[in-house]
Amino acid sequence: MPEYKSVTIAKGRGGWGGPLKVTPSDDKPYIYSVTGGGIHPVAQRIADLTGGTPFDGFKSSKPFDQIAVAVIDCGGTARVGVYPMKKVLTVDVHATSPAGPLANFITEELFVSGVKPENVSNE
Amino acid sequence: MTVFQGDEAVDVVYQTTITAIGEQVPAFLEHGILILFADDAPEELHSISVLHTADIRLHGPRAGDVVQIGDAEFQVLAAGHVVEENLLNLGHVDFKADGHTEPKLPGDVCVPKGALPTTPEVGQVLRILRPAER
Repeated sequence: MPEYKSVTIAKGRGGWGGPLKVTPSDDKPYIYSVTGGGIHPVAQRIADLTGGTPFDGFKSSKPFDQIAVAVIDCGGTARVGVYPMKKVLTVDVHATSPAGPLANFITEELFVSGVKPENVSNE
Repeated sequence: MTVFQGDEAVDVVYQTTITAIGEQVPAFLEHGILILFADDAPEELHSISVLHTADIRLHGPRAGDVVQIGDAEFQVLAAGHVVEENLLNLGHVDFKADGHTEPKLPGDVCVPKGALPTTPEVGQVLRILRPAER
């Protein structure tokens, strides 16, 4: 049985929302990278610090209720809303704020943006 | 690929064929927004997106380009700094009919107000055209 640790993810420069506390579990082990081009360094850092399992959303899929956190590189409209709408904790590596038709699903409890690897810590 | 639009030579910098239309696409169009993703995008993005499969992937759109979807066409006024990376990596683009010449969000492709066509159809070709270098 893997041992999981918690991380705190703070907004980066120009970012919005959070901080989020992420703790994977046996029921929710997955660190979901929806970024294209493989596992994003922010997702890899979250996985390294928590013991969660990274996976690439463009290669495979997992049910939402098994996702500990989703990492996106969204420029502001589509992916920023889709995951919070499903109540999935969401980390945007770009510094976006809520906007677009899905903006009312995006809350500080579910979403943090502008995140770089150094904004993820075991604090 | 260079083609002629009347007398003018233009380069096709992106060309793709529409493969599916998500059920929320008309609702986004009412807000002046059209979202595209490549058809291998995660399932949860399908309902908000026009899915497509590209055969020319050279550049993302920039100001001054023309986008054709089927018989409709519209002009690009501005594009944010993550637009090209999104399009070339994920087949993803957000067209916004906001009339802005400075994008509000880094993923926005701004086009004139009212310029987006009605809901596209499966099988239509989308092209991004750029005046050819002389």
